[in-house]
Amino acid sequence: MRAVPRHVACVMDGNGRWAQRRSLPRTAGHRAAEATVIDIIEAARAAGVEWLSLYAFSTENWNRPGTEVDYLMRLVRRVVRKHAPLLLARGIRCRFLGAADRRIPRELAQDFDDLATLTAGNRGMTLTVAFDHGGRRDIVEAARSLIRNGTQADDVTERLFADHLPFPDTPDVDLVIRTSGEQRISNFMLWQVAYAEWVFPAVLWPDFRAPDFLTCLHTYRCRDRRFGGIPPQTNGDLS
Amino acid sequence: MTTGTTGTADEAPLLATQPPFRAFFDDPRWALAIIRATVLEAAHPQIGAALADNSTFVAHPWRRLRNTFLSMRRMFDADPAVRDREAARLNRLHTRMSGSDSRGRAYDAMDRATRAWVVATLFESAVTMCRLSGQPLDQATMERLYGEYRAFLAALDGDAGELPEDLNDFWRYFDRVVEDELENTEAARLILYRLFDHLPAPALLDGMPALWAAGRAVVGPLLGAITVASLPEPYRRKAGLAEMPGTPTLMQGAYLAAGLTRFLPEGWINAETIIETLSLSPDSDDPRARTVTALRARMKQASALLRLLTPLSGDAGPGPDPATSQATGGGQRSAEEFFRQVLDQTGDGYLDWPDLAAMARELATRLDLDEPQETRLYDAFAAWWRELQAALDTDGDGRVSADEYAAAVPSLAGPALIRVAEVLFDATDKDGSGTINAEEHRALFRTAFHRDLTITDGTYDRSAFVGDFLTFMAGRRRNTAYDALLADA
Repeated sequence: MRAVPRHVACVMDGNGRWAQRRSLPRTAGHRAAEATVIDIIEAARAAGVEWLSLYAFSTENWNRPGTEVDYLMRLVRRVVRKHAPLLLARGIRCRFLGAADRRIPRELAQDFDDLATLTAGNRGMTLTVAFDHGGRRDIVEAARSLIRNGTQADDVTERLFADHLPFPDTPDVDLVIRTSGEQRISNFMLWQVAYAEWVFPAVLWPDFRAPDFLTCLHTYRCRDRRFGGIPPQTNGDLS
Repeated sequence: MTTGTTGTADEAPLLATQPPFRAFFDDPRWALAIIRATVLEAAHPQIGAALADNSTFVAHPWRRLRNTFLSMRRMFDADPAVRDREAARLNRLHTRMSGSDSRGRAYDAMDRATRAWVVATLFESAVTMCRLSGQPLDQATMERLYGEYRAFLAALDGDAGELPEDLNDFWRYFDRVVEDELENTEAARLILYRLFDHLPAPALLDGMPALWAAGRAVVGPLLGAITVASLPEPYRRKAGLAEMPGTPTLMQGAYLAAGLTRFLPEGWINAETIIETLSLSPDSDDPRARTVTALRARMKQASALLRLLTPLSGDAGPGPDPATSQATGGGQRSAEEFFRQVLDQTGDGYLDWPDLAAMARELATRLDLDEPQETRLYDAFAAWWRELQAALDTDGDGRVSADEYAAAVPSLAGPALIRVAEVLFDATDKDGSGTINAEEHRALFRTAFHRDLTITDGTYDRSAFVGDFLTFMAGRRRNTAYDALLADA
């Protein structure tokens, strides 16, 4: 069996459906998601995962009803502030991928900054929260950055290109977990998931718990990763 | 630089036989005394007018404090050559400040009686600082100290005729000026009310607005109250400064506490170290900067945690206001920010000749320029000012407002600004090699080369220097080195 994945990403899907099934407003589903997030962070850390990425809000989510977006912003702000000391104490380095839109409230952006500053020295596990993230946008940004640097077309390699993505130290994603049975990529970390294994548990995100997470890890460890013929070392999976 | 003791007593006319007067500058009470002296200077109508127009005290108090400190140091240096050079520099500096202002009041920073008053306030504040902290000077020491300050004036003016020869007459002179000449000037009010309320963070604490705001909320009013209580009674009455119960005790306590530090082991409190550390920019490569950077990182984390832990008021908690400037970051800054941080050196909300003169003054001080290079630099800045005025002063009031500036930012990099960059390059390139080496770079920016500079073979050539200066001055890009030079408080 192969080693624990180094970089796990979760697409936190199913909050709305979870609420609808209980005849609750969609916002209740987002609130219930908080418990899962904390549970999974702890489970991942305990299992020895070094990088955990959570897909919290995509560039397309701005199209949702204004009240839901507002609610999400306030909720995220509360969650960030509530758990900041805990994340610091557990040695988790937090950072926010995306988070560039002007529509993000200034206070929330400040909190993101503060949490990132606060935990910048931590070495336990790196938690990347993809907030207002879009995989294509990141790639476009990298291309812009290359052009601005005056890089010659022939000099552009995959490695060089990756260096211009946001947070270039992030290793490739080994495992993506998308809850609620949906089987789509949804513009998530497109560059980094190139050789990722995907699992699609049917359970909705608010019901997803540490044991479910460990089951996903087990599924991954039983899989045969071939990387399309590329030697496994390039993925940082040095088992 | 060593501090405190100046052992060489054999030939030091200004220093007599004991070292106490230089040691004054290493005394924490000195900071309180210098603030008090500055208020008394600002209350003089002539000096007040000059200060209100020319001084960077409100916008860049820490830089000003540092420059004053180093200048006083030099004026009391054991080496006469150092003193003469500093006196000549101060004279040139004040010549440039002379003239009449646009609002009809004439002032002249070279006026002999006015300059005597500056020296008088420095002397009187030194004596008062000792008196208030419970260690009054004895008559003999006081007379010797007075002699030194008169020599200070003589070094500036050629002779000390404007100050009475005898110490007893001095007190009469001092009381008379306080009674008859001092006024409740705008500059004095500015220092007492605005400076302490809006004291900008020193370089060390920049970027930690929450922490600085918390400290300032306590220290600012306290400093103000202490200063007011230490002013001569006739002036307090005249300026209508409130008598607050308890402040005299507080003031005496502060002086006493600061005075008690004399029982600390030598070298524990060292004014120069404190001032230098406060003005240390964290990006500098000074050996202490590593510690400071580490400390700063810790303080940044502490203030981040503090902000995160502050309970939200209601659902939409108001974020700390100064954070906006941090958030915009990314090498860009708004025209308004650039105007406030860099261009408006005097902090009066307008860009005027004194603002550019203050920049030239800071650059000349840093580079320790002599004539004729200093004049070349000032001339280049003056030409730039004419160019700016012609391009930006749309309403024709002789100065440029923040709005006028914001409306016309792109036209800022004209030929005169390029000329400023070239003159600055020549002044910085002391050995005339055509490139700026690490040592020359350090003289101007107090730090070695930064990685983001376009450096070839460990030097910095003319075109790269001019290019960087222009992008900074056109407000297009932040530049760590120039920010530390012109934007830091």
